[in-house]
Amino acid sequence: MSTIKEFLTNDHSKCDEIFASMEEEAVKSLENTRPLCEEFIAQTEKHFQMEERVMFLEFETKTGMTQGPTMMMRQEHTQMRALMKDMLNAIEINNKDKFFGYSETLMILLQQHNMKEEQMLYPMAQQHLSAESDRIVDMMSSLTAQ
Amino acid sequence: MELNGLSIDQAPPISAPVRFFITAPIFGLIAGILIFFSDSATLMSRFSIESIVITHTITIGFLGFIMLGALTQMLPVLVGAKMPKVVFVAKYSFILITLGLIFMILGLLHNDICTYLSILGLAGGFLMMLGSMAIALKGVNNFTPTVKAISTSIFFATTIVIMGIFLLYSYTDDNISEYQIIIANIHSVWAIFGFGGILIIGVSFQVLPMFYVAPKFKSFCKKRVVWLISTGLFLWLVFSLFKEDYTIFAKAWIALFFWAFATTVWLKLNRRRRPISDVTVWYWRTASIFLSLGAFLWIFDEYFKHEYIVMVAVLIGGGFIISIMIGMLYKVVPFLVWFHLNGMGYMSIPTMNEMINKNLSKAQFILFVLSLIGFIFSFYIPILLQISALAFCISMIILEYNIISPILIYKKIIKTKPDFDMSLFSQKD
Repeated sequence: MSTIKEFLTNDHSKCDEIFASMEEEAVKSLENTRPLCEEFIAQTEKHFQMEERVMFLEFETKTGMTQGPTMMMRQEHTQMRALMKDMLNAIEINNKDKFFGYSETLMILLQQHNMKEEQMLYPMAQQHLSAESDRIVDMMSSLTAQ
Repeated sequence: MELNGLSIDQAPPISAPVRFFITAPIFGLIAGILIFFSDSATLMSRFSIESIVITHTITIGFLGFIMLGALTQMLPVLVGAKMPKVVFVAKYSFILITLGLIFMILGLLHNDICTYLSILGLAGGFLMMLGSMAIALKGVNNFTPTVKAISTSIFFATTIVIMGIFLLYSYTDDNISEYQIIIANIHSVWAIFGFGGILIIGVSFQVLPMFYVAPKFKSFCKKRVVWLISTGLFLWLVFSLFKEDYTIFAKAWIALFFWAFATTVWLKLNRRRRPISDVTVWYWRTASIFLSLGAFLWIFDEYFKHEYIVMVAVLIGGGFIISIMIGMLYKVVPFLVWFHLNGMGYMSIPTMNEMINKNLSKAQFILFVLSLIGFIFSFYIPILLQISALAFCISMIILEYNIISPILIYKKIIKTKPDFDMSLFSQKD
């Protein structure tokens, strides 16, 4: 079974893949972009929830740190949720400039967020939660987004 | 283990990198004005005082400032390294380097006491900044290829500062010896390839796949290229000092890997998943072309008594490094403005694409590239020098406007009340 770090890092790649397909479609026409945008949002939301409802909680319980890195990651999730909503609204009003403005901002925010997680938080989590790694990965994979 | 090593608060305040970014085009403009009042015959010699002054106005005032500003921002985000006293260091090193550079320009042009003052400013400013970065990097546990490249580039930066100070000191005395010319050769090659080049390569490992969804760099490339280039740079040092006839081998070695990097960048951009082709992509492509030409001309120059060395400097320093720096500014400055405002609870912010006028950034790009081409041909058609300098100056003015525009948006929005109270999220010390 993959480690917490591998599992969540692979999930980042899945989201990136859908994001790239969404932008490719958006260049052609925004009209057909909605399903891909919704798929991207659903996949990303599931990822956020795997972290917020499982991994972050386990990490916070184990380390006693509730005001540290996980809090900042939650804040960035909030920022990204707002941007994803803005992207959908831009599709709704068929405004390509707005759409790419939001997708560009989201892209950079997302990538620097992922980098902080992959290079710092996940290795920290893996180290502190190594004994429970399989159980946590199981819980995350069985999670259904709310 | 450092558990507090991950937070928005760890990133420096926006003023730390931005003061470097908005000052850089001003020095670019000063360099353009100095070129305008020069003549191509003087600039053909890399050891003329005018050439040295113009080169350093660009390398320190433009390139150095952007690289230092970017590093203060990148170290926490890309690397997770926390610079000690970052606000203090960024502010005072900026003041010292700015004053040091102004005194250096005046000192070299008028050969007076300003040169001594410039030594104090430049040595103090650079060593404070680089020392703080070295301390930050010492605490990094996850030594990725990007961290290795940044650390290596900071090592080269420190050595070129020390060599530069020695050379500057030697200019207070009119007798320039053969030995100082050798040091100048090592200083310039290590500055361009060791500091600028390796830093760009290391950052591109992350940035190209991230921002353009380009294919990732191969493991060999990420693990070995920085060491291979560093080996070439050390060979350059050894041959320059002891076996000058052999420097061509070190030169070919270094040029080969930079040409390979230029080609890789071009191919990766061709295979990128993000379909958007904005001015930043144009800048990466321009950098790739100019670097390839520059690398070959650098070798070719060996057989023409270094007649083309200034042209090589225009191709590599201007076409490669300045291009990447400007492209990066166009991405980073709007993002920083958005990120800091959004982090403070402001939700009604223009998107990144709305902060910089696209037509103006295209105009800036075209003028900049034309000016470089003009500088190259001015070796054959001297009249082109003034026209190119003018184009370069205008491109720098537009760049300054383009960089300040998002900052003005930031200043305007920050005076209003945030949409959300984000104080709950602020890190407790």
